[in-house]
Amino acid sequence: MKSDAMKSECARPAAPAAAPRAFIRVYVWEAPVRLFHWANVACLLTLGATGYLIGSPPAFLTSGDASSGYWFGTVRFVHFLAAYLFVAVMMLRLYWAFAGNKYARWRNFLPLTRQQARDAVQVAKVELLQVSNESLEPMGHNVVAYFTYAGTFLLALFSIVSGFALYAATSQSWFPHLFIRIIPWFGSEYTLRAWHHAALWLFALFVLIHVYLCIYEDYVDGRGAISSMIGGWKFVPRDVAASPQAQGLSGGGRRRRSRAATGGQQPPTAP
Amino acid sequence: MSERIVVDPVTRIEGHLRIEAEVKDGHIVDAWSAGTMVRGLEIILKGRDPRDAWAFCERVCGVCTTVHALASVRAVEDALGIQVPPAAELIRNIMHCTQNVQDHVVHFYHLHALDWVDVVSALKADPVAASQLAQRTSRWPKNSPGYFSDLQKRLTTFVQSGQLGIFANAYWGHPAFKLPSELNLIAVAHYLEALEWQKEIVKVHAIFGGKNPHPNYLVGGMPCSFNLEEAGGINATQLGQVAKLLKEAKDFVEQVYYPDLLAIAPYYLEWAGIGGGLENYLCYGDLPTNGFADPSGYKFQRGAILGRNLNEIHPVDPRDTREGIEEFIDHSWYEYSGAPGRGLHPWEGETRLKYSGPPTPYSHLDVTQKYSWLKTPRWKGHAMEVGPLARMLVGYAGGNAQIKDAVSEALGVLQAPPAVLFSTLGRTAARGIEARLMAQWNIDFYDQLVQLIKAGDTRTFTKEKWDPATWPSEARGVGTAEAPRGALAHWIVIKDGKIENYQLVVPSTWNASPRDAKGQRSSYEAALIGTPVHDAKQPLEIIRTIHSFDPCLACAVH
Amino acid sequence: MPALLESPVVPTIYEQMQSRGVNRRDFLKFCAWMSAYLGLQESGIAQIARAIETRRRLPVVWMHFQECTCCSESFLRSSHPIVADILLDKLSLDYTETLQAAAGQQAEEVLQDTIKRYRGEYVMLVEGSIPIGADGAYCVVGGKSAIDSVREVAAGAKAIIAWGNCACAGCVQSANPNPTQAMPVKAIIKDKPIIHVQGCPPIAEVMAGVLVHLLTFDRLPQLDALGRPKVFYSARVHDTCYRRPNFDAGLFVETFDDANAKKGYCLYKMGCRGPTTYNACGSLKWNNGTSFPIQSGHPCLGCSEAGFWDNGPFYRRLTNVPGFGIESTADRLGVTALGATAVALAAHAAVTRVRKRDTIGEQPGENAEAAEASRPTPPDGPANPEI
Ligand code: HEM
Ligand code: HEM
Ligand code: NFV
Ligand code: SF4
Ligand code: SF4
Ligand code: F3S
Ligand SMILES: [Mg+2]
Repeated sequence: MKSDAMKSECARPAAPAAAPRAFIRVYVWEAPVRLFHWANVACLLTLGATGYLIGSPPAFLTSGDASSGYWFGTVRFVHFLAAYLFVAVMMLRLYWAFAGNKYARWRNFLPLTRQQARDAVQVAKVELLQVSNESLEPMGHNVVAYFTYAGTFLLALFSIVSGFALYAATSQSWFPHLFIRIIPWFGSEYTLRAWHHAALWLFALFVLIHVYLCIYEDYVDGRGAISSMIGGWKFVPRDVAASPQAQGLSGGGRRRRSRAATGGQQPPTAP
Repeated sequence: MSERIVVDPVTRIEGHLRIEAEVKDGHIVDAWSAGTMVRGLEIILKGRDPRDAWAFCERVCGVCTTVHALASVRAVEDALGIQVPPAAELIRNIMHCTQNVQDHVVHFYHLHALDWVDVVSALKADPVAASQLAQRTSRWPKNSPGYFSDLQKRLTTFVQSGQLGIFANAYWGHPAFKLPSELNLIAVAHYLEALEWQKEIVKVHAIFGGKNPHPNYLVGGMPCSFNLEEAGGINATQLGQVAKLLKEAKDFVEQVYYPDLLAIAPYYLEWAGIGGGLENYLCYGDLPTNGFADPSGYKFQRGAILGRNLNEIHPVDPRDTREGIEEFIDHSWYEYSGAPGRGLHPWEGETRLKYSGPPTPYSHLDVTQKYSWLKTPRWKGHAMEVGPLARMLVGYAGGNAQIKDAVSEALGVLQAPPAVLFSTLGRTAARGIEARLMAQWNIDFYDQLVQLIKAGDTRTFTKEKWDPATWPSEARGVGTAEAPRGALAHWIVIKDGKIENYQLVVPSTWNASPRDAKGQRSSYEAALIGTPVHDAKQPLEIIRTIHSFDPCLACAVH
Repeated sequence: MPALLESPVVPTIYEQMQSRGVNRRDFLKFCAWMSAYLGLQESGIAQIARAIETRRRLPVVWMHFQECTCCSESFLRSSHPIVADILLDKLSLDYTETLQAAAGQQAEEVLQDTIKRYRGEYVMLVEGSIPIGADGAYCVVGGKSAIDSVREVAAGAKAIIAWGNCACAGCVQSANPNPTQAMPVKAIIKDKPIIHVQGCPPIAEVMAGVLVHLLTFDRLPQLDALGRPKVFYSARVHDTCYRRPNFDAGLFVETFDDANAKKGYCLYKMGCRGPTTYNACGSLKWNNGTSFPIQSGHPCLGCSEAGFWDNGPFYRRLTNVPGFGIESTADRLGVTALGATAVALAAHAAVTRVRKRDTIGEQPGENAEAAEASRPTPPDGPANPEI
């Protein structure tokens, strides 16, 4: 199934050599992905905040009778509510990993080819170590980002499984009880809970780095990475879009980022 | 011709004790006491939070539950310079007295009595005569003919069932049993009654510590709070229950335990000349009335007696690292760093397990080599006996009026001089005398507690040194307690908020340890020398003397 | 064996109860109480009555290994039924080092006699863990290692009851670094049903209740995934805790004996393990319903959970993360990691800023124009090319 979008990208002729680089808009993040993303953000912030409160409740109230308040119960309730939403959101994304466009496909998230490994090394060289300028210009996420997201999906899975296993004790519903088998794997419920708690910090680390990198990418590449998660569109240099890599996993090409190269021709690098 | 007898397991004790004895011409000429189980708690405690230590230590023993927790919190408080509020001190005293009284009663009836009481002979008793006999010395309401005859019927059915359970294959009919059958019946009845009573008295622990066995303690005080106006805190209802339980405990001791002890003893007076063993007694003292840091305020005095000389009490200092308490491992399955034959003060103590005995299963231990999991503690090089007898002797010699009166009264009933105390019988009697005293002191402590609350001081915890940030980077302390079985001490070294070293020297370690490098025997081994053995196949006499110490091997090794 | 052991007359439990003056009415009352206790329907009463009327006393051997004997002690505290009645009327406790009259050789004989005579019928109760280090030399009874004894006695047992955390999970002696390699029974015996009666120690009435269940129905009680009898271990301490309303209201004790403690607020912040601990403390309570740890003001240590000793320090909600020092909770490490990452990111940002022209390469203006230039041709469908 060849989509119209793709045709429109490929149909455009390459920019003349001396002209400023031309960008085209590519519809990368379909609505379900964007919905997933921001719902996910909402769930995680809620789970993280309520989780943190559950872990270290502040001394809001120091007097009064139990009948006079229920704030801690409410915090827990919100945590559990967000937990169910979180599952729904994750399921949506899981579904879309099979039904969505090529940037959303499950295939991207799994390190399966040698090319992905080479690309990962290249991304590290360019973006993290900044020892190379030979930048990859994927249209979806870059390989390292995909793998990181795969990692966060696993982390989310762990939070869900561990959370519901813990929740089973207070729940009559069948769903949480699906997970209680994992408790003995962790030695005891206490240890599982400690791991569940620890996941909070892994998420926090991810979010910190993730948000930074999104801003970084937006700044460095200027392809509208952040707004793409809102509107769905990315701005991609025409030559990149036309490159053979654009037909690859998540699309995209290669570009030398350097002053020397500006204004000059920017032939897409061979695969 | 001498013969080697092995008693393993020694039953009706706590833990795993093995006695090997050399018998010649019907008497024991040499004996070896071995602890055959180890857990390595001193190793496990390393690196942990000192405030948690009490819970680990409490699990050293469930029979003397509480006392290790007490010694442990005291050790930490000593290291950190914490003084607990008076109410907490009183609660601890109450819990401690409760423990000792309960433990002594259980020891007498359930662990020791069957050495003296012939259960089968009780079947032949006349219940009416038994009732009259019991009523002569006690106004215990249950000592009626009907009560004894019901019990006897029940016992008969039990025996006829052919399933003798815990009474199977014992030494019934052995000539060393001397009691008239009526007294046997009384003792068996009280065996069952004590079983019911012991579960009541420990409710005191449940009220202040949440449960028994293994009630909760806290560094800096006690975890329970008083609040007379709330259902949540310890209120008048619960205090009332404590008062009732303490009163019942006193009644039980005075109307059942103590009279039984004094009724049985005269039939076994020859045991006042057997089992004396060591002539040295050690007591750290306990039951502070002016804070743990002030031993001069202890109800049980601190001190040592050497060579049975009741005219002199030697001062004891558990902190003396140069010539005080040391532990040796010359016959114990451990390794120390440095030269062999070394003794270590517990602050410098080491615990490295190194089994070198025969492979299991074995029939004999090589007693010329290492043969036990207990280390061997010595005070200034002396082997010391610890326990209720040591406490009564030190109190008696030290002129403590209450102790002196209580001991004299008992000796008066038996019409015997103080010298009879240095014996198997003396040890067993001292325990009963002590139980009586402590049951009364318990009530006194309770009254003081109520006065304190009335005066408005309900503090049970001080938080001032709770936060490790307030601790010095290095500190060491020692916590002592007079456990049911004797002088107990925990030594702790704290470094950077963690346990750097933790060593326990436990009453049964003193008493049940193997000999030291010089060949000096510890209490059990010494006490067995000279004990008559009627039938080498039936070690009744051996267990009588051993039981008189109330062995606790889980404690001793830890 | 002395003649007494050979006696052929073995009356049933009911006959024995009758002979000690228990009348039919009291007997049925006892059965009703027991069945309520075990959570049975009306019909259960008759079942208990029948079982007790017809059954001989169940032979039981109580093996002692690496233990503090508190499980034995706790058992002695049972009020329903009281231990004297269990020992005299319900079970035949043929071996237990703590209470039995015979010692040494004679004690061993009784054990051998029971396991031979009642092969396949007796129940083995185990208190204490079994150390497998040093070829078993860390726990030896009668010259035999605990491993050998437990295997020998388990072989002919119809079922095993593991008393307490020691026998169920190794307990304190198996805490890090487990110097003797202490193991629970289930690590050694794999081919017998084991009832895990957890706790350090278990509640007396729970211990007695499990025995009465076995005795009455001649089968195991229903067990949870960890082999614990559901009737006593299906609820968390937290869910039966009378301080729970304070938890929900967010009313917490902040330090021991503070005003909140006096009011009986929730001990969660004092490190209470009630939320992750399955035991009957809140419902049955201890010592015939007198109290339980939380009621006395101390947080739950989680004593009925495997490995609870290594979840310290006890007075903090979060355990130490091993290998990171005394105050190293997940929170501390998390905050440190976040801080370090933030610093790294700031450095990265600074470098990016410095090398801006190199990295970015193009003038922002270009991009904007180019984007503008391409605007007129928006794609009208999702980009979803076949790969
Ligand atoms: C990213 C996702 C999540 C994060 C960051 C998170 C975080 C936390 C944290 C920090 C705690 C406190 C743990 C402690 O200190 O003891 C907690 C508790 C808990 N969480 Fe989560 N959680 C997440 C997802 C979930 C999910 C999906 C569930 C499923 C129901 C869940 C259920 C629970 C439960 C049951 C508790 C214990 C609350 C109580 O019983 O009081 N969590 N969570
Ligand atoms: C709790 C916070 C967040 C979480 C858990 C999260 C998670 C994710 C995940 C899982 C993806 C991959 C989406 C997919 O392929 O399905 C993603 C992508 C993205 N997120 Fe977030 N996100 C968070 C916060 C944010 C924030 C605050 C921003 C904006 C500043 C942001 C911007 C983006 C962007 C631009 C992408 C696409 C980046 C790329 O092309 O690699 N995210 N995020
Ligand atoms: N020995 C000993 Fe203990 C006592 N009493 C300890 O301190 O018994 Ni278990
Ligand atoms: S489980 Fe606990 S109470 Fe029972 S024997 Fe072990 S340490 Fe003692
Ligand atoms: S005291 Fe412990 S068990 Fe009780 S409600 Fe609070 S956290 Fe739960
Ligand atoms: S410590 Fe144990 S006794 Fe109960 S309240 Fe907690 S499970
Ligand atoms: Mg020691």
